[in-house]
Amino acid sequence: MKITVNGEAVTLEAGVSVAALLALRQVKMPEMVSVELNGTILDRGAFPGTVLKENDAVEFLYFMGGGAR
Amino acid sequence: MTSDNLHLETRLIHGGYAPDPGTGATTVPIFQTAAFAYESAEAIEAVFAGREAGYVYTRIGNPTLDRFERRLAILEGGLAAVACASGMAAISATVLALAGQGDEIISGNSIFGGTYSLFHRTLRRGGIETRFVETTDLDAYRRAITDRTRLIFIETIGNPKLDVPDVAALGALAREHGIVLVVDNTVTTPVLFQPKLRGADLIIHSTSKYLNGHGNAIGGIIVDCGTADWSHPRYPLLKPYYDRARQFAFLAALRSQIHRDLGGCLSPFNAFLTLIGVESLAVRMERQCDNARFVAEALAKDPRVEQVRYPGLADHPDHAVARAQFGERCGALLTLRLGTKARCFHFINGLQRAQNLANLGDTKTLVIHPASTICRESSAEERRAMGVTDDLVRLSIGLEHRDDILEDFTTALQRLEERTARQ
Repeated sequence: MKITVNGEAVTLEAGVSVAALLALRQVKMPEMVSVELNGTILDRGAFPGTVLKENDAVEFLYFMGGGAR
Repeated sequence: MTSDNLHLETRLIHGGYAPDPGTGATTVPIFQTAAFAYESAEAIEAVFAGREAGYVYTRIGNPTLDRFERRLAILEGGLAAVACASGMAAISATVLALAGQGDEIISGNSIFGGTYSLFHRTLRRGGIETRFVETTDLDAYRRAITDRTRLIFIETIGNPKLDVPDVAALGALAREHGIVLVVDNTVTTPVLFQPKLRGADLIIHSTSKYLNGHGNAIGGIIVDCGTADWSHPRYPLLKPYYDRARQFAFLAALRSQIHRDLGGCLSPFNAFLTLIGVESLAVRMERQCDNARFVAEALAKDPRVEQVRYPGLADHPDHAVARAQFGERCGALLTLRLGTKARCFHFINGLQRAQNLANLGDTKTLVIHPASTICRESSAEERRAMGVTDDLVRLSIGLEHRDDILEDFTTALQRLEERTARQ
């Protein structure tokens, strides 16, 4: 299935959760990342349980600012 | 075994530890650099945009500081930590992240003079009002709470009053009102006391003291225990951060705004020195506390000393609370009253090994006369609240052999008596 991650088109298997996506993308320090799914900020407790669907738009951001950590 | 299961003595050395990936070096590399270069404009843009993790400028973040922060967060059982230039920088950043003009904080009235000055003079000028209350009077804290209260601040053992507040009781009070409890754990350290277990939300240290342990580097740390509810209406300043970072709201506010803008960053070299010191924290604290108790008990029986104050002595008003919170080891600070300022000066001048200086928590035994030095800016009223009299001497007991520490004091006391007899 096709989704976008930070504006980029990405092809994924079905059934991938947000948490799994962060791991797949080798996002360093996932605990320091905030995730927006289709324009809404996702509660971090929901990362493992939220399964991505076709055409979902995921934006993730290191929220510590200035790029540090 | 995960880090969580290991004893403190092990976490002091192994918490967040790994040999350097590039070289296998066993001590943390000192990244003594101001900034970090990127291969392309796109790469550095991605880091500033928050799309990629990376270091850009040591004031904001640095790999050596990371290790230091991780170690301290693990030691205090916290979510994460922010390294600061000094304990005062840590306290300043904490208050300014939570409070703005028109807001209030509640603080014990026997806190360290430097913190008192920050609260009563500097922050007040910026419109943040501090309500000082009797440190060990729980009801006084309760009466001081208003809608504008943003935090309650206490030290585990007052400096130099050596009073001991009941942290768990204050934690419960703070939680009842949705207020954050900030605990300065400098003079006890995680070896003697884990504030998070007693309801602290934020823990601060002047790492210059026992953590560094060797009097060679000024530093500070803020540890977020991960227990505060940053969405509470008391924290409107954190709202924008809460939306994105939830539990990390306070840390995010520090990193991306307050700590970054104030610029009270720790030197990587100071972080290195303090990490080395931290490894031996348990054995140092244990020995220094044992030495302090030995000296306190001996001097308490000495007719040449008017009064000895040490939380570990049975006659200390907060002895029961101290024992309940800290166990057998009630810190390595004690105070003596010698009758007059002149006698204090002669005593200090008669010491051979104890160093007369403004610090505590060194391997060397230290002494200072607070009224004429660290508390001299305070009014008579303020000094009374801090338990500072003109005849008070503060001792920070070191790692020397306890007999030699005591002998230094008793010899000086003997010289003092002979001098008095001659007059």
